[in-house]
Amino acid sequence: MSAPAEITQSIDSLFTEALYRLEPKERHTSLLALLKKELAYACNRNLRFRNYVEHWPVHFDTADTLADLPYLPVGAFKANPPLALVEANEVKRTLTSSATTGQVPSRVVLDAETAKRMTKGVTTIIRDFIGPARKPYLVIDTPENLSTQGELGARGAAIQGLRSFATEVDCCLRRDPEGNTSLDLEKLFAFAARWREVEVLAYGFTYVMWTQFVQPLRSRGITLGIPNVRVLHSGGWKRLERDAVTREVFMEGVASVFGCSADRVIDFYGMVENVGVVYPDCKHGNKHVPAFAEIVVRNPLTLAPVVAGEKGLVQVCSVLPTSFPGFLVLTEDMAEIIDYDECPCGRRGTSFRFAGRVPKAEVRGCGNLETTRYQ
Amino acid sequence: MNDLMLSQEVHSPQEIICVVQRLREIAREQEIAPQTVLDVFEKWAGALDGRELRQVPGLAFLRLWLRRGTLEPILVRELGPDFLDGHWREDGRARLRAFPLGTVGHWPAGNIEIQPILSLTCALLGGNSCLVRVPSGLLEITQQIMEKLQEVDRKGLLTARTCMVSFDHSRTDIHEAMAQAVDGAMIWGGAQAVSQVRKLSFPHWARVAVFGPRLSVAAMDAETWGNPAERSSWCRRIARDLWQFEQRACSSPQTLFLEYGAGCDPGEFVNDLRRALQEENLGHPRQQIEPSLTSGICLARALWLLEDTANRAVFPASPDWTILLGRGSEIPKPTQGRTLSVLLANELSEVISKFDGTVQTLGVAVKSAEREEKLAQTAGRNGVDRVVKMGRMHLFSSPWDGADLIRPMVRLVRHVPSQE
Repeated sequence: MSAPAEITQSIDSLFTEALYRLEPKERHTSLLALLKKELAYACNRNLRFRNYVEHWPVHFDTADTLADLPYLPVGAFKANPPLALVEANEVKRTLTSSATTGQVPSRVVLDAETAKRMTKGVTTIIRDFIGPARKPYLVIDTPENLSTQGELGARGAAIQGLRSFATEVDCCLRRDPEGNTSLDLEKLFAFAARWREVEVLAYGFTYVMWTQFVQPLRSRGITLGIPNVRVLHSGGWKRLERDAVTREVFMEGVASVFGCSADRVIDFYGMVENVGVVYPDCKHGNKHVPAFAEIVVRNPLTLAPVVAGEKGLVQVCSVLPTSFPGFLVLTEDMAEIIDYDECPCGRRGTSFRFAGRVPKAEVRGCGNLETTRYQ
Repeated sequence: MNDLMLSQEVHSPQEIICVVQRLREIAREQEIAPQTVLDVFEKWAGALDGRELRQVPGLAFLRLWLRRGTLEPILVRELGPDFLDGHWREDGRARLRAFPLGTVGHWPAGNIEIQPILSLTCALLGGNSCLVRVPSGLLEITQQIMEKLQEVDRKGLLTARTCMVSFDHSRTDIHEAMAQAVDGAMIWGGAQAVSQVRKLSFPHWARVAVFGPRLSVAAMDAETWGNPAERSSWCRRIARDLWQFEQRACSSPQTLFLEYGAGCDPGEFVNDLRRALQEENLGHPRQQIEPSLTSGICLARALWLLEDTANRAVFPASPDWTILLGRGSEIPKPTQGRTLSVLLANELSEVISKFDGTVQTLGVAVKSAEREEKLAQTAGRNGVDRVVKMGRMHLFSSPWDGADLIRPMVRLVRHVPSQE
């Protein structure tokens, strides 16, 4: 069953609004009204979700602010079967998060409408940062991750999300029969030679881009000479931090192998549970929220929203999904609110900076049992 | 000032070896009588009354613990009355007397502010010298408490045989050196910490006492929780147990089992419990929290309510406290951070008979003494080491985790005289 027309029309209308130019209060009011309708719809579609919402300290109908609405912690999307607001036969695609080894990935289900909005959302946002023109698209990944069949992981989803900007697509990594990945230099050189003079789009997962692309090229002293490239990357920094690779080192490294300026390298934050919304860095290093989304950064002690300049747990909000209850999701990431309006880049609304994953607690009490004694 | 006593940061295994050599020499050269230890402890308890230490969680209990009136009966029970005077005890044709192991290494858990001190006192009472690895988060508090000992122990009787050290938890080489240098070990903590320390190569003669990891639960019969006149006071008791040590202690209740009773309304109970938790929160608001614990609390609330539409929950917008209400006789995975699962069960005896060795303390509120005795028997048979009144679940005493606290760190020497 599709979401009611009243909801879908309201979502669609947000795509026609100025993406980052709305007055924050006005935007908040319209998002709050729409999210309330979506919560009511979700409660009707999923009894388990309704049980959760009904126990929230503030009933969503009476909430005055978006921060008062009931949010789901991101771990709730690890449930199997996934939390859904549509019937199984309506599911067109299941997205999975990039869980590290041994962890259970999040799974979110997309129906045709939500899948369409996902693409539209990402495209609209990225367009604001790299312009509307289609470009040759260099994927710093293997062709296997281009597949559009079956379950789609976070890497695949990001690659697919940018496809609408592509005139043609080339992957510059290859996988041998043993599963080892390496750089396809011949293909890469051909791409560079062919598109040296034009604007090009390149995308890769942050860690993959560094270890499989930048490091091998730098070790051989290779510069591709594509000064007009727009390099987008996303994904965790944990492993790079472990290797002492800072953002500055990363950006300079990427710029040096492409032969472009470092300001053409854009990091964006996104997660499968927050479909259709990505948060690229503006030229001042801040992330912004589009018209159809919001960010709440919560103080871990009180869970109340923080003031500008403070760090806390990130809650992402989006009106785009109607096939799963991913409207309001408390992530396991930390961020700092830079301002609630007026970034020097001209984009309005909340601006923030990602501050890493929630650190695992070091102190573990004597009441911390990992296994039971007798099974 | 005795340079051995106050916290010192250790950077190499050699430093640990040097410290232990000095501690061992002092312990061998200067035997200390239990009465002397008790005298210094009594003074120490008095010195801990300062305003600057009042906010330290568990300090009131530590003061009580250090009193002669608390410790003397424990010593007598564990080692006999003769031990107090340092005399040999007749044992048929032989004589017995307790001697210290030597140097005892302590690995306290990081979640209980006074635990480094509690662990230390147990081994000092046995006449040992002590090397305590203080967790990084407790350095300041431990230092403050030890400064009070230094004030009262002018002759350095105890401070000379004590060394508090700190080093990064990942420094396996220093942990290893500490383990190899000691004659006994007292290890406290969670599953991961305990298993890592137990893996260290202690000398073959070393005695190792492990406390934790365990969890605790509470149980109320219908007659108690169904009685409106008594209910709110019991709810205040469970709130107290829940609050202390952020529910991370092995004696912290994670689940409260309520036995079904005709005419008993769980809704009324939860209302009383909510009020008790709100009051406790007003009196003792949280000052800080690990963001990962906040995430865990939010997730526990969500998973509980998403799992079964019959499940209920009560919680504020903050992570201050959480009640998860449902049915069942199994202990759910603990969340900690003042998150209490309240489960309705048909029979408390059925619940308790399912316990395995993971349950340390069973806090009870049962009307009939006869019934409680039967439940205590069942609990004992099913691995529970403490059955105590709700509201007193954290009262540290001997035995703990089913074991004596002082005796494991002493040797009983048997002397059969050659001339009869």
